[in-house]
Amino acid sequence: MKLTEIVDLINGELLTQEEDYKKDITGAMGADLMSDVLASIKPEAALLTGLCNPQVVRTALIADIRTIIFVRGKNPDRETIRIANEEQIPLITTSLGMFEACGILHKAGLLSYELPANDDCA
Amino acid sequence: MNLNEIIQNLNLKVLTNSKDFSTIKVKSGYCSDLLSCVMTGAEPEGIWITLMSHSNIVAVAALLDLAAIIITEDAQPDQQTIDKANEKDIIMLSSPDPNYEVIGQLWELGLRATKN
Amino acid sequence: MTDEHPRVSDEFAKSITRTEELAYELRIHEVMSENVHCLPPDIKLEEALDIFQKERFSGAPVITNGDLVGLISIEDLIRALRSGNLDVNVSEYMTTKVVTVHEYDPVVEALKTFSRTNFGRLPVLDKQGKLVGIITKGDISNGLLTALQRDYHAEELIRYRASHLFEDIVSHRTSLILRYEIRKGDFIHGGNASSNIKRALLRLGATPQIARRCGIAVYEAEMNLIIHTNHGGSLRVEVEPHKITMEAYDDGPGIEDVEQAMKPGYSTATNEIREMGFGAGMGLVNIKRCVDEMRLISSRDRGTNLYMIMYLDDKDNTLNTVN
Repeated sequence: MKLTEIVDLINGELLTQEEDYKKDITGAMGADLMSDVLASIKPEAALLTGLCNPQVVRTALIADIRTIIFVRGKNPDRETIRIANEEQIPLITTSLGMFEACGILHKAGLLSYELPANDDCA
Repeated sequence: MNLNEIIQNLNLKVLTNSKDFSTIKVKSGYCSDLLSCVMTGAEPEGIWITLMSHSNIVAVAALLDLAAIIITEDAQPDQQTIDKANEKDIIMLSSPDPNYEVIGQLWELGLRATKN
Repeated sequence: MTDEHPRVSDEFAKSITRTEELAYELRIHEVMSENVHCLPPDIKLEEALDIFQKERFSGAPVITNGDLVGLISIEDLIRALRSGNLDVNVSEYMTTKVVTVHEYDPVVEALKTFSRTNFGRLPVLDKQGKLVGIITKGDISNGLLTALQRDYHAEELIRYRASHLFEDIVSHRTSLILRYEIRKGDFIHGGNASSNIKRALLRLGATPQIARRCGIAVYEAEMNLIIHTNHGGSLRVEVEPHKITMEAYDDGPGIEDVEQAMKPGYSTATNEIREMGFGAGMGLVNIKRCVDEMRLISSRDRGTNLYMIMYLDDKDNTLNTVN
């Protein structure tokens, strides 16, 4: 699924430079706990989270996450956006809650991109 | 929608005492792993999806009169937490799937974020 | 703006898969011609013909106040010549049903449009619908060739660095040490060191999988130093051709029960930390899953030492196998 389609589906707003708008996303995960994200997300997924601090972008970078979707209308600060631009991780914000955003994207065919908890993290 | 439909359709494990779940109404869904968000966002008679399993979730669910908690990714609350939930009449359910997948299935069933 | 189509040689054909990939990766604005010579709609065809001959154009967009209103090509001019009618305005003979592409579309969109429409050139518009360039098949071929060459050079540079570091230096034991000081409570910069370590490993030739696993382990260790120590601590990463050793050490307060700390879900983090998305009691568990070997030594008076080791020799991904 294209980033543009995701933005449209969840009525979101892209916060970073438009350059990365065409990235293809095939899966997603929703979590607020970064350790859980680090433990289980597959590479190249979209991360939906209500957490909004620079750590989310750092986590994305370490775990090879394609894009971050901030739910519940969270808006990251300038520093967070700057890091995301620098590292080319598109940031999207939506006023929808986690439940709605996940529900809509799942319905639209975006797969769950989380590994079973006991899997290798590679 | 009643809680029994949800338990059957999502094949959830019941962690707390069994009861007639078909009499329990579920009006909305909410997902967060941050207690402060749940406190402000979840609605009474809603179902809360989270991968947190520590004892604070019981206190929050009781405070907000939630219909039930679905703990995802097979996270296992300890016996103390389960006892506390039974005592406060909080239903705890469990799924091996992550938040995203559980929400997707609830959405398929027609559950939405708000009461109406 | 040329219409010459570079031929696909045997040499080029070997990298055809990468070319196909590039058609999706490269965006139109990266290969299009900018500074397009445009014509106003109200000049005579005679004048347009002069410009075309002088500048060797085969087509040009027609614009009024920056808005695209049509496209005039050499074929349109030939049509006018045939009917001996060069004394009319460009607007009479230009194509007004112009097919355009967006500057941020992938190049493959333009290729599809070319094969669908048979047009030789496509005006490129920005988000506001203003003309920003023009793209021809020749532009695409040139853009792909340049990108392939760039890829090749980047790849070569990384290989050069990696092999140079670990192959050409002869010693009994060659290693590279990276050190980072982590401050207690510094959530703003938390993860900075780990990002740098991950990037360094990639540049040294580690596979993305190895870099990711090391990154996750050292990130958890970094956050532990920020959250749980008295005064912060240090990260030390030693990179050897066959082994990556990551170490986190601090001067306290130490872990009371190491065995319990290793249990999934066990955490001593405050609610405040949990609200920041950390302290779920998964950090050490995560680290253990990611690295080949982990050792945690802690005492109340000496603080904590965490060793994380990743072996590279058994997985065909050592840092010096690059030739």
